[in-house]
Amino acid sequence: MAHGGKQIKLKNTGGLMPRSQMPLRTLMIAMTVMCYLACLAIGALVLITRAVDDWSSDIAGEVTVQIRPSDDVKMSEKLTVVAAILDNTPGVSNYEILAKEAGAKLLEPWLGNADILEQLPVPRLVAVSIDQKALPDFVALESLLKAKVAGASLDTHRRWQGELTRMGDSLVRLGVGVLILITASAIALVIFASRTALDANRQVVEVLHLVGATDPFIARQVQWQFLRAGLQSGLIGVLAGMATFLLLGISSDGPRASGLADASYGLLIGAPEVTSMTYLLFLLVPIVATLLCLVAARLAILRILSNAV
Amino acid sequence: MTGASSIVSLQNVGLRYGKGREVLRDVNLELNPGSFHFLTGPSGAGKTSLLRLLFLTKKPTRGLISMFGRDMASLPRRNLPKIRRKIGVVFQDFRLLDHLTTYENIALPLRVAGHKPKTYRDNVFELLNWVGLADYADVYPPVLSGGEKQRVAIARAVITQPDLLLADEPTGNVDPAMALRLLRLFAELNKFGTTIVIATHDSNLIAQSRRPVLVLNDGQLGES
Repeated sequence: MAHGGKQIKLKNTGGLMPRSQMPLRTLMIAMTVMCYLACLAIGALVLITRAVDDWSSDIAGEVTVQIRPSDDVKMSEKLTVVAAILDNTPGVSNYEILAKEAGAKLLEPWLGNADILEQLPVPRLVAVSIDQKALPDFVALESLLKAKVAGASLDTHRRWQGELTRMGDSLVRLGVGVLILITASAIALVIFASRTALDANRQVVEVLHLVGATDPFIARQVQWQFLRAGLQSGLIGVLAGMATFLLLGISSDGPRASGLADASYGLLIGAPEVTSMTYLLFLLVPIVATLLCLVAARLAILRILSNAV
Repeated sequence: MTGASSIVSLQNVGLRYGKGREVLRDVNLELNPGSFHFLTGPSGAGKTSLLRLLFLTKKPTRGLISMFGRDMASLPRRNLPKIRRKIGVVFQDFRLLDHLTTYENIALPLRVAGHKPKTYRDNVFELLNWVGLADYADVYPPVLSGGEKQRVAIARAVITQPDLLLADEPTGNVDPAMALRLLRLFAELNKFGTTIVIATHDSNLIAQSRRPVLVLNDGQLGES
């Protein structure tokens, strides 16, 4: 603008609060670690949920018919009857009569030498694949098997499935608990940093009050710095978290070398239905971190200012 | 004297810091709109404490303070900014914000009140000219001399043409010529209706202006 015959271009120093770096720098470092941990917890939750789903689905897709040997009826006859029953049971998509050696091999880890097993009445197993869209009537099937074949029983793996689900639920609850703790710690950090930031700028706050600034006006001046800190921490934390999962995925000999490596790799690079959910959850981390910093800092500042004269 | 028409009314006001003795005792004061007073007294008499009560950074330990017709004891905290915007304050230690330029320091009360920069830019430059700091608009306070800082502090206090101007030793760091120039600025403001209280030790300034003088002695207020 022209003033006094001169063109005067003023500097624009921006906000009314000095950018006191120390409290915010400390907050940023701590928040970055929090966001990184949150990212790891979210990734672990997704991995656990997927693994439990996969295992449950595998178990739920198969039942086992077990036939104990008996002296009066030959095993081959019993197997023929079982096969006939299974052939006529709706919902059974396939079945495989496991060889005697296969059954013995399953017991080998507990009983040792296969020679001893030869002398024991090892039950024969029939692995039955079922159509998950049209499940068979397990109760009726079991009754029929017991009625027609002496020593036959049906194992639907429900006990295992239940235990797996319970374990999965416990791990998910643990993960959510960790996320809640991380959030609570982050809120405590922001409140502490707000207090430190106000203490560091006490004179500025006093002058602003004296020239007629309202508490919300002063809070606005400070909270934007916290918003920026939250956003930067969130982004850095998420990038570090994603890098960790990628490194975990490629750290073995090949990207598909182990179960964990495979799963970690699959979180970020893989089927779109999995990666899209992972990216969406990871995207929430900087958003939540930013909002948390903004809201917690504003509330803390307003509370501190309300105690000033 | 009643406080009905006065802009500031203090009745039997006392102030003590912590458990110490009272630094102000039974202070009674009425300031009418458009009045101009000097406040003087020996060092430690309580001038700065009295000003602190008037610019609302301290609450009295006893007595009543009413400003602009409002009882300060019953005024909700959220309404304080409205009252403070009617008061211009010049601090003995200037209280400039070092991270803002001279221009921004002077414009601060207007910015805080929500005015748009283009509406006050000319006024700020006019005031910068008046206090002889037009060439320092873009300079930060740490590089200004004591006198220059004092002039910036005065400009910041008067930019809103407040109803009440409270100044603590506003000419303490300037030469006599600038002191007179600043006094003229205060007189000019006073002509437009601003009530002025200047705390000073400068007897020459008091003598030249020929305004009523409030004298504080050992925490008690008298008039000379």
